[in-house]
Amino acid sequence: MSDSPEDTTDAAPVAAQDLPEGASRRLQELEQGLFTSDLSVNEFLLIKEVGFHPLGLVMGSSIYHTGIQTRRWGQSQELTKLTEAMYNARELAMTRMEEEAAELGADGVVGVRLDVNYYEWGKDAAEFIAVGTAVKAESGQSYRNKLGKPFTSDLSGQDFWTIMQTGHVPQGLVMGTCVYHIAHRGIGQTLGSAGQNVELPNFTQALYEARELAMTRMQDEANGLGASGIVGVRLEEKSHQWGSHTIEFLSLGTAVVKTSDDVTLPKPTTIISLDN
Amino acid sequence: MLRAAHALAREEPATGEQMTSDLSIDEELVLHSVGWEPVHLVTGASLYSVPTGVWNWGQGEITYASEAVARAFGAATARIHEQCAKAGGHGVVGVHVERQVRRHHIDVALVGTAVRPVGSRRIAADSVFVSDLSGRDFTLLSAAGWEPLDLASGASFVYAPRRSMGAAVQQKGQNVELTNYTEAMYAAREAAMRRMQETALAMRGDGVVEVKVTEGPMDFARHAIGFSAYGTVVRLAADAHRRMGATMVLPLDDPVSLFDSASLRGR
Repeated sequence: MSDSPEDTTDAAPVAAQDLPEGASRRLQELEQGLFTSDLSVNEFLLIKEVGFHPLGLVMGSSIYHTGIQTRRWGQSQELTKLTEAMYNARELAMTRMEEEAAELGADGVVGVRLDVNYYEWGKDAAEFIAVGTAVKAESGQSYRNKLGKPFTSDLSGQDFWTIMQTGHVPQGLVMGTCVYHIAHRGIGQTLGSAGQNVELPNFTQALYEARELAMTRMQDEANGLGASGIVGVRLEEKSHQWGSHTIEFLSLGTAVVKTSDDVTLPKPTTIISLDN
Repeated sequence: MLRAAHALAREEPATGEQMTSDLSIDEELVLHSVGWEPVHLVTGASLYSVPTGVWNWGQGEITYASEAVARAFGAATARIHEQCAKAGGHGVVGVHVERQVRRHHIDVALVGTAVRPVGSRRIAADSVFVSDLSGRDFTLLSAAGWEPLDLASGASFVYAPRRSMGAAVQQKGQNVELTNYTEAMYAAREAAMRRMQETALAMRGDGVVEVKVTEGPMDFARHAIGFSAYGTVVRLAADAHRRMGATMVLPLDDPVSLFDSASLRGR
């Protein structure tokens, strides 16, 4: 791979379905019965408690160069090229992680972290990375999702235990993103509202619209998985490296489906702890 | 830390009266509840120098650096094993792993608390366990039928080939994956994870828990991508995993929430 002497940039992007040679060798080793996991001991024990066994740490990453899109100073609009870049790069990372999980014969991936890191490579290049622990049911029952793929979920071991007790099964990590440019206010508007208590409707409107777009896209993904709900939704607003008026709205959550009505969750004991 | 090493070298520790430990009171109580006690604070450190030029322009893996990290880690672990055995411990819990990779040196320092079943005899250095899990994690794992074995680590550094001028200009305005970096990242990750796994398999472990990974370009050489991972190797000591049967609790403590004036200014 990296031993090849030529510059590899002009080659076609790594196809998602072909894991690099090194990766498949690492995964073969894991099939010898060793597991690796970044779960804490608590999470490890809770996953065992619901009848799952960790198989291995699975990862996917993509270093991606985002394109350029001109923004109009006074216009609020979605920057589709940037939205597309954020989608594409995350999808690449997620798909590669899922491939690794499928290779291990996993039923799902828990504790998925999805990060974007910027390094010294220039302000348009970022690393998108997805890391999680592949798990498999010890009973042999399949927990794969509607698409026949291992489910993904950003739930912690604790959350995973709790949600399984309520008869829900995770289907997939769903996300929606929207990169939005919020118009600057004109001189006239700024002067007009100087000294007054007023809402700034253009800002409010733009933020609303961007957030709605991101949320809707996330819900569409969940519908595609036939989910009955999305839990643990987080809405993040980040400016990345684009300056103050361009914001990425990212909503992320775990789509779940209800599989049985029996809730085995015991009634909690109330405690009062004596420590701080 | 050096002083700690001197202190350990000078005197025969753990005569029963003197005990040092960096565990919290809670941790010690938890250990005592299962019949274990802290013995002494133990350390292991190793420093490797890296000659000039190692991180410069090149191709493929920077084997010198990868091997230096592996050796430094190996030497530091061997030392903490010896110190633990010398102090009369049966294992080390709560090991803080400090690892620095710099342009001219690589150093690994391990500090942890040696523990033993109350009133037990000394054992040999190679049967001592070393783990970065806390005392409570150690107790929980033992209750579930698992035992920690040792730390396993793996590191790899790989050069990412530079993009040609033409490619960089052509890609300026586009959404594209930078395959040179992605591939270097993959190469580094797979090599590092494999080394960690091989170490774990060699000690006949069943798994590695709480794996910590660090990755990314080195801050002093941005075309060198590094990936390193370490974690505690565990083995199922009982015949089968014992379920914990957790009960749900609902704390009635109010969450401590203080007014944060930063929220008014928005971030």
